[in-house]
Amino acid sequence: MDAPGKVTGTALYAADFALPGMLYGKVLRSSEPHARLVRIDAGRAARLPGVRAVITAADVPDVRYGGSVKDERVFARDRIRFAGQPLAAVAATSPDAAAAALTAIEVVCEPLRPVFDVAAALAPGAPLVHDAWASYTALPILHRDGNVCNRARIVVGDVERGFVEADRVFENRFTTSSVHQGYTEPRAAVAQWDSSGQVTVWSNTQLPFEIQTTLAEILQLPPSKVRVIVPGIGGGFGGKLRIGVEHFAALLAMKTGRPVKVMTTSEEELTAAYARQPATVAVKTGVTNDGRLTAREARLWFDTGAFAGSGPGVASVATLMLAGPYRIPNLLLEGFAVYTNKTNFGSFRAPSGPQANFAVESQMDIIADALGLDPLELRLKNIVREGEEGPTGQVLTAVGLEECLRRAADAIGWRDRRPEVGRGKGIACGWWTTTGGSSGVYVKVNPDGTVALNTGAAEIGTAALTGAAQVLAEDLGVQMADINVVSADTLSTPFDFGAQGSRTAFAVGNACRAAVADLKRQILALASKHLGVEESALALREGSVVGAGKRATLGELARISQASGGGLIAHGTFVAPPTPYDTKRVEGHVYPAFHSPSFHAHATDLSVDAETGEITIHRYVVAQDVGFAMNPAAIEGQIEGGVAQGLGQALSEEIVYENGRVLNANLTDYKMPTARDVPRVESILVQHPSLVGPFGAKGVGEPPNIEPPAAIANAVASATGVRITSLPITAEKVALALRERAK
Amino acid sequence: MTRIALSLTINGQTHDVLAEPHRTLLDVLRTDLGLIGTKENCLEAECGVCTVLLEGAAVNACILLAAQCQGRAIVTIEGLAAPGQLHPLQRAFIDHGAVQCGYCIPGMILAAKAYLDTNPEPDGDGVREALAGNLCRCTGYQRIIDAVLSAARALRTSPPSQAAR
Ligand code: FES
Ligand code: FES
Repeated sequence: MDAPGKVTGTALYAADFALPGMLYGKVLRSSEPHARLVRIDAGRAARLPGVRAVITAADVPDVRYGGSVKDERVFARDRIRFAGQPLAAVAATSPDAAAAALTAIEVVCEPLRPVFDVAAALAPGAPLVHDAWASYTALPILHRDGNVCNRARIVVGDVERGFVEADRVFENRFTTSSVHQGYTEPRAAVAQWDSSGQVTVWSNTQLPFEIQTTLAEILQLPPSKVRVIVPGIGGGFGGKLRIGVEHFAALLAMKTGRPVKVMTTSEEELTAAYARQPATVAVKTGVTNDGRLTAREARLWFDTGAFAGSGPGVASVATLMLAGPYRIPNLLLEGFAVYTNKTNFGSFRAPSGPQANFAVESQMDIIADALGLDPLELRLKNIVREGEEGPTGQVLTAVGLEECLRRAADAIGWRDRRPEVGRGKGIACGWWTTTGGSSGVYVKVNPDGTVALNTGAAEIGTAALTGAAQVLAEDLGVQMADINVVSADTLSTPFDFGAQGSRTAFAVGNACRAAVADLKRQILALASKHLGVEESALALREGSVVGAGKRATLGELARISQASGGGLIAHGTFVAPPTPYDTKRVEGHVYPAFHSPSFHAHATDLSVDAETGEITIHRYVVAQDVGFAMNPAAIEGQIEGGVAQGLGQALSEEIVYENGRVLNANLTDYKMPTARDVPRVESILVQHPSLVGPFGAKGVGEPPNIEPPAAIANAVASATGVRITSLPITAEKVALALRERAK
Repeated sequence: MTRIALSLTINGQTHDVLAEPHRTLLDVLRTDLGLIGTKENCLEAECGVCTVLLEGAAVNACILLAAQCQGRAIVTIEGLAAPGQLHPLQRAFIDHGAVQCGYCIPGMILAAKAYLDTNPEPDGDGVREALAGNLCRCTGYQRIIDAVLSAARALRTSPPSQAAR
């Protein structure tokens, strides 16, 4: 919808946004991973040319904020908890002057014993990342203990009995690395205060309403005094959900009385953003000789970094992913979010999905190999089917998984799994949620018959709002080109839970349907009066109301209404109906069921160079149950992009830490796939309509990111006989494993 | 710091600006001239969102000093086609669904333009190679490659009347 503006360079993004007289803000970040902050002296920095303000913890309200655990402050006050933690911020007349001022701020601190990974954080006698954790305000549902800021659990049946019933029990351990969302537009915000004490923040957040709430908390203002507007977003993928630079911009603007812009550097992105949590996963699965899964005990530990952030929620989602899309009668699944002295890792497209899926889908192949079964057959034997229960007792409907598996396997020529030496095929499958939450829209008919869609959701590049507009156009019988979208302004647009969790097209689309139902009533009533025709004899068709040989265009009716009734406008809302589940099966869980779940299978055919370990992908096929393919090209675009990102995580991407510091905090050393690296991705859209999605659609944005690591690992194992259990699966790692085996 | 007077030829027009000698072309384009179609990200010549054409070659404006560009023809995305018109590459990117968030797209299109100007009959591998310096995190590149190949065909059959200056 907005493509012409984007290809001509006229589309405005938050990073482009500027105001007259604007200052530039920069953030001083700690170089120490864990320390007592003794003193911070900004006196010299404040006197440098061009510097208009320097702020530290002493200048801001002492507020602890956070979505699930209130454990974070704007600036470190007495304790530094990760290398990259904000200590101070500067506003100056140019970015260079601000950067120069940062180096003039004196920081004195005393290093403390750190915990750099989950194992260290959970060891007996480990230092606590938050000594006062127990006193923090937190969601009461969480199970917290010392460095664990949540333990989410699912218990079904009796795993011990399930293991006794099994003929074989498999135990494997997997690890995954932290990867960055890699959006091409840095996080950016411009803030400006007005004389009424209201602050307006233009930001590229995916969740303007959440940023409004968080800013209000930090600034100690009523939410109505905080207005968040999203001018445009250059990619988010979950990395722009939580507060990023908005608070620095707002605080510096307050102090200087000038508009202030803050934008992150690549170094800040890779050291102090919301990259994906690294995970350690232990999976123990019992199976009968003929391949029936009898029990699974699995634990996944997320390194959540210095603050809880998304961790407790993502640890919850992980437990559903550990079950896999399988029917396993006995389950004990636990997800942990563990504090360490690293950045607060966060949500990245299908948070927890790739980590858990890599573990359980790798193990499925390990099991199949050990039992002499075909991996596809083993999956088909155990997958959930229509009407069966998910791990927490939700009843599954519109389950297109068998079709996904069979079609992906067929497409890739599964029968011939090892066509030549060093070449093999792999498959992996999974399920995912369509996030719920509520959406509201206003739909207004303009005097020329075009239609304005006013939504609180931001278009983040996934064409999700285009999808919602398509639903609107379809329902109202107008052309897509006649729909204008106004979006994401917390002051004027209706509430929306935000562009997250594959929900936008789904929820905003449904809200549009509700608005259209109301709007149609208004239109028909007005047309009936105007045309002198019974309402029952009228119908809305192609932008006009017609009946009894008469006709009135939407534009005409809008003009009549404007002259006499305030215009044609409707408010539509949607909230995903709760998915019933068995509350007795879960503990510490903030995401106990998957709404309108989607199902998917990825299959790949690749070769591995025996010498270098280099992987060449010949084919990559995705079969995804999207419910209903409203806009196939846009969905395929999501699949292609999601797979490319997933392949990055599978093959090359890793934020490398050494003693709590990032070694590759630049885009030269943090390797994202380029046009040279990504293979052609073939998409198969499977359609088992969901009962609640608009026309049966399910969320499509996140799933393609889930299976690539497992599909690649399984294909590499099939090609070489070597099983790689840690991500990324780099050429060096594969070559080393091949050499080890040859010994 | 002392500023120097610069005269830059951008999209066929001369712009006189006063700027410190260390300022980059990217900074001057975006901050002084309001040409925000040239995007900003890594500032270290790794992502390609700042790609512009300098004497017809694709370059990263983030590592180029504005002062170095005096007297040389610069084309930004704003100058690829007349206002209200689309260059065949822009058309093809839209038609092929190659645009998602769009932030990489101006740089991508200009990198493709520079490549097609010297390689009017490219193949997929050539295009992939030519665009390898431009990161896109949304699309997985496939539709971008397809768009460039189809624009190449379109350009061969009917070159744009209003070609880039
Ligand atoms: S901003 Fe110039 S290459 Fe990234
Ligand atoms: S379209 Fe978003 S980075 Fe390319």
